[in-house]
Amino acid sequence: MPPTDVRKFAAALSASAAAFALTTGCGAESPSQPGSVSITVAGQPTQENPDQLKAFKRKITDFTKANPGITVTGDESSFDVNTFQALVAGGKLPTVFYVPFTEMQGIIARQQAADITGHVGADAAVKRVNPSILKVATSPDSRIYGVPVQAYSMGLLYNRALFTKAGLDPDAPPKTWDEVRAAAKAIHAKTGAQGFGAMTKDNTGGWVLTTMSYAFGSKIQSDDGKQANVNNNATRAALEFYRSLRWDDDTFGSDFLIGYKDITNALASGKVGMIVQGADTYTPVVQSLGMKPDDFGLAPMPQAPGGLGTLGGGSVAIINPRASAEEIKAALKWIEFAEFNKYNNEQAAVTGAKAASADKLPVGAPVLPLFDQATTDRYLTWVKDYVNVPREHFAAYFDSAKTLPLVPEPAAKAQETYGILDNVVQAVLTRRDADITALLDDAQKKVQSAIDAG
Amino acid sequence: MTDATIPPTTERSRGVVRWVRRGGLSTLIFFIPLLASFGLFSWWPILRSLLLSLQRTNFLTSEWVGLDNFARVLKDPLLLTATWNTLWFSILAFVIGFPVPVLLAVFIGELRRMRRIASALVYLPVIFPPVVAVLLWKAFFDPSPKGVFNTVLGWFGLGPVPWLNDGDLAMPSIVLQATWASFGTATIIYLATLMSIQTELYDAAEADGAAVSRRFWHITLPQMRGVLLVMFLLQVIGTFQVFTEPYIMTNGGPENRTVTILMLIYRYAFISGDYGRATALSVLLAVVLSALSAVYLWATRRWSTS
Repeated sequence: MPPTDVRKFAAALSASAAAFALTTGCGAESPSQPGSVSITVAGQPTQENPDQLKAFKRKITDFTKANPGITVTGDESSFDVNTFQALVAGGKLPTVFYVPFTEMQGIIARQQAADITGHVGADAAVKRVNPSILKVATSPDSRIYGVPVQAYSMGLLYNRALFTKAGLDPDAPPKTWDEVRAAAKAIHAKTGAQGFGAMTKDNTGGWVLTTMSYAFGSKIQSDDGKQANVNNNATRAALEFYRSLRWDDDTFGSDFLIGYKDITNALASGKVGMIVQGADTYTPVVQSLGMKPDDFGLAPMPQAPGGLGTLGGGSVAIINPRASAEEIKAALKWIEFAEFNKYNNEQAAVTGAKAASADKLPVGAPVLPLFDQATTDRYLTWVKDYVNVPREHFAAYFDSAKTLPLVPEPAAKAQETYGILDNVVQAVLTRRDADITALLDDAQKKVQSAIDAG
Repeated sequence: MTDATIPPTTERSRGVVRWVRRGGLSTLIFFIPLLASFGLFSWWPILRSLLLSLQRTNFLTSEWVGLDNFARVLKDPLLLTATWNTLWFSILAFVIGFPVPVLLAVFIGELRRMRRIASALVYLPVIFPPVVAVLLWKAFFDPSPKGVFNTVLGWFGLGPVPWLNDGDLAMPSIVLQATWASFGTATIIYLATLMSIQTELYDAAEADGAAVSRRFWHITLPQMRGVLLVMFLLQVIGTFQVFTEPYIMTNGGPENRTVTILMLIYRYAFISGDYGRATALSVLLAVVLSALSAVYLWATRRWSTS
């Protein structure tokens, strides 16, 4: 066709495309009344949990009744590394979205969450969140980018049934790393199961090694996030611990290319006795993997002399960085209502717990107090009739939470650091002759150059 | 009305009418779905990756950074490891995976009966969804003495072999799985080519007293050359883009011995959220593959005319 026709055709095409976009509302702001604002909120339960879903919808109704200017739409999307960037790129990130602690510093560095500092008043619930937990959602220059809504710490998870079978007392789990090693030997000798296990891939190997390093007495990065400190005595001691269980005792199993699903499967099915993992693992192993609640053991993270504490984990509510000031305000109101109301309002606490227990979801699962111990205790008293988790098994863990410091993740390039440390862990576990010092020397250089690259 | 009184717009509209009458419009209408689907799902993403490779973006704001992403990719010490691993995979896949389907096709082609059943059996692995097949093989490669392969080795007093857990064995193990998963398709294509070779050629060779090996060398291979060359090119391009197998079986381990270029791209994009670096490396890979294809096509054209 002649060029003029092409141009005409193109013009007609773009005109009709524009008309289509306008009529379907695509790319155009939906008209809103002055003073009214619409937000979408993640966390909507799926159809498989009908009671939870009903409770969630009721929560929305109650909220909109109390806040007539705000329209809330539920959204089922949840965090996944493979889809998060696409949600941001496509403008489909809900106004309120939940991300794990480990992703938070990366999200802040890439500015993919709204800075809510200016919207958080002195009386906001966010301000009452335990400062060591709030730090996760705070940038190095003290700006707040999210609201932590759930927190747990890493501990020693063990299979109580295997402990009993091995002649160990499931109510007296190991307190030191020597005791862990001895228990691993006993489990392996008496039951044939793997005594101790650790993840090694998807950056989880480095994540757990970091936790182990804290327990053996050193951080792996300077607090300002500028200096890598991977090559330290504590990390060396942690790796030496791995090495002796793997090559001297043979209680560490034989597969060292495993991630979160593999290790939790192994724990739930009684193939491994002990792992270092987040306390929140209770929910997936009991709910999805069929582990009996009474078989799930959770002990405080054993500390070597000079141990610094343990790593924390959890969930942070972030707000879409494209949100307007009104939307941010509405979203913060929603987060307080949806997540914190249960700590202030007995009826809200009971309604939520009742729905969860009707759907056979854990009520009273091991988490850390988000605000303070008294608030958590009050909540637990309100919902005590619905608690279906054997919390008495975790008494030592709950006690330790009061004293064991929560050590934050590396401030810069945490995921890259974990990835580099994955290799060190894999080397120590797959090669008998692995030179720990040389491996850490090499890792130190790589982490430092990742930090320097910015 | 004479032509002289026709205003210019009417003249133009008559051109449109003529164009429509000549079938221009129907051509265009038939062309639009193709144009739209290719444009939207192929060309636009390609163009967008090119643009992204020159930007630093968080998908909210982007800034142009020139060739900075390329510089950062080239400075990454893992790039060399990933390139070597990918090459190693390609070489192994060629050595193990290329001759197998050719020989199988020749063998099946020689069968008088059961040819259909044999080709169906050969094709069977292909119908497994890739992820299922890879997970299945991962279980076969279980490094404990209870693993499938190790149990078999155990019968002969061998093993246990660490398979994927051994830096030297991991890649060959992955190639074994990849070959198993893909040789069916290649075999069927070769078989189809074989079936199209005129039987008179074989009859004549047989009359001249040529043995099976000579018939294979002098008739089968030359007749299959075109297909072999294309399949080789496709295999090179395919193996350079290997991702699923190492991602599921080892996620690059142990000690990055199975990290491939595509896995590095994946890590840049999804683990580090750095789409600039991810697209820069994708562009580099595309350039290398295009260059390889061009050289290859040029060389094969020379060979076929000489």
